[in-house]
Amino acid sequence: MTPIVEGRGLTRTFPMPSGAVTALRDVSFQMAPAEYIAITGPSGCGKSTLLHLLGCVDAPTSGSLLFEGRDVARLSESDRSRIRLTRVGFVFQRFFLLPMLDAWENVELPQAEMGAGLAARRARTRELLDYVGLADRARHRPSQLSGGEMQRVAIARALANRPALLLADEPTGELDEDTGEQIADLFDRVHADGTAIVVVTHNPVLARRAKRHLVMKRGALGADR
Amino acid sequence: MTSRALAWRTAAAEPARAALAIAGVAVIGALLFDMLMLSQGLLVSFREMLDTSGYDVRVVASDVFPARVDLTNASEVAADIARLPEVRQVTIVRTDRAVVLVPGRAPTDVALLNLSPGAERQGWRIVDGADLGALGPQESAAPAVISRQLSRALGLSPGSPLPLRALASGAASALPIVGFTVVGIADFQFENDGPYVLATTFEAFQRARASVSSDTADVILVASRPSIDASATVAAIAGRRRDVHAFSNEQIVERFNENGFAYFRQISFVLSTITLGFAFLLVATLLTVAVNQRLGQVAALRALGVSRRRIASTLVWESALLVGTGGLLSLPLGWILALGLDRILRDMPNIPDALHFFVFEPRLALWHLALLAATGLAAAVYPVWVATRLPIAATLRFETVS
Repeated sequence: MTPIVEGRGLTRTFPMPSGAVTALRDVSFQMAPAEYIAITGPSGCGKSTLLHLLGCVDAPTSGSLLFEGRDVARLSESDRSRIRLTRVGFVFQRFFLLPMLDAWENVELPQAEMGAGLAARRARTRELLDYVGLADRARHRPSQLSGGEMQRVAIARALANRPALLLADEPTGELDEDTGEQIADLFDRVHADGTAIVVVTHNPVLARRAKRHLVMKRGALGADR
Repeated sequence: MTSRALAWRTAAAEPARAALAIAGVAVIGALLFDMLMLSQGLLVSFREMLDTSGYDVRVVASDVFPARVDLTNASEVAADIARLPEVRQVTIVRTDRAVVLVPGRAPTDVALLNLSPGAERQGWRIVDGADLGALGPQESAAPAVISRQLSRALGLSPGSPLPLRALASGAASALPIVGFTVVGIADFQFENDGPYVLATTFEAFQRARASVSSDTADVILVASRPSIDASATVAAIAGRRRDVHAFSNEQIVERFNENGFAYFRQISFVLSTITLGFAFLLVATLLTVAVNQRLGQVAALRALGVSRRRIASTLVWESALLVGTGGLLSLPLGWILALGLDRILRDMPNIPDALHFFVFEPRLALWHLALLAATGLAAAVYPVWVATRLPIAATLRFETVS
């Protein structure tokens, strides 16, 4: 079976005025479809950098990344954007919902970008808001939602185009313990429905839910726990 | 959701910013609209003024217009021109300076005007009393048609006596006082805020000048036959009379455009450019600040696969929305402002009543909107560049940490 994403000797260096900083050192990584992986490690160890590479929003300084067998380095920016739109879903620590749109419109936006028809968009948006338990908050704007509700809308938005891979960067970082647990439950359901998940977190509860747990240290990937 | 709808929602979500931008563009756009009207206003107004007189060619003694040299043998020249097949009508225009000496009133400067008989209806419109032919030949007083302004200033009405002394250069005090009678009050086409106007017959005009001058004229007005172009009449006059110079209305307007009105055109060009620069800076600054405030959102949208084109078109629509609304508001605002400015400028001395500095033309409104649209597009270039070229990962990291 083709891995959904595979990194070979991934290194990412950031040029800084005081000298280059290597955030990722020779990381090799493979992920099967529908796998659920948690990546933990101290701040600044390269977790988010790896997540950004896996999500095709950044490019490695050296090494190669294959997404569903395609070498990402050989793809144009519009092809990478298309992969992100159709095959990858992102969930961010700070949600990044559009404040001028309500929950329904935020979830509908990626579908409209993909060119889905109105009827299909309506059905999918209704389904997703119901899925994350926010059907009754569909017409509320982000400013009218709690942190947990905003993150659930963000998860619904990330799932809008039925991605093969869901990437979450500290999804419970802004939430209290109970709300974080609700989000963890939601990820369990997403995974159970067949979506691969990579979650970068400091939250041990969330990390324990993953089927595979990787620990990073100083830009290198440790052995599976 | 379309880019246009997203732009509208973005603008509506920050009403204060949107209102500020729209108000700024409206004010700047109003100034731009006024400058565009000013750039052509005098020319358009001047052309209309010349055209509505009914004459399309003017003949003077020198090759500059307006001429400062009297045209001699005016009657003979006019008769010669009238014989040309291209010509329908010829009118001699004579003016001189004079002073009206009404008892109990201060001496008042007037412009003494004489037109060829029959041309009066194209020089003035009687509003009270009768025209110059009203006095019979047995009457000893000379007939005078005076302007409303002169009538008001000196309390004159039809039938009022009007003692007048012509002012000939170097011999003013030597000329006798001639008794005129007001026969009518009229609106004069070329009256301005300079001396009041008083029109009379050729005989009375000569009597007032006490034969100081012979048969001279300031200008001879020529009307071409309906099927004849003014340039053909000019060529025919040039072929017949080498001692005079003929100008079509078009040529006169062009000369004024090159000389007298060039200052207004240059001023309006400079001010138009400056106002466009202000509009550009205002919209570019507001959009750039707005984009910088939502870099995290833009980066997140890009991470979710929203294309650069969508991000760019949303920003361009947002710019178009702000500039378009402000631009539309600027039209009535500019028009109101132009009315006030026109009134101020027309208060300057020697400006004919029919002349306007700000003249509305539909094509100017289109130019105005096109210039604002181009400015809006140009103003969106930098914010679009920032939004579409931002490094997604670095921006997400920075926005999360900050």
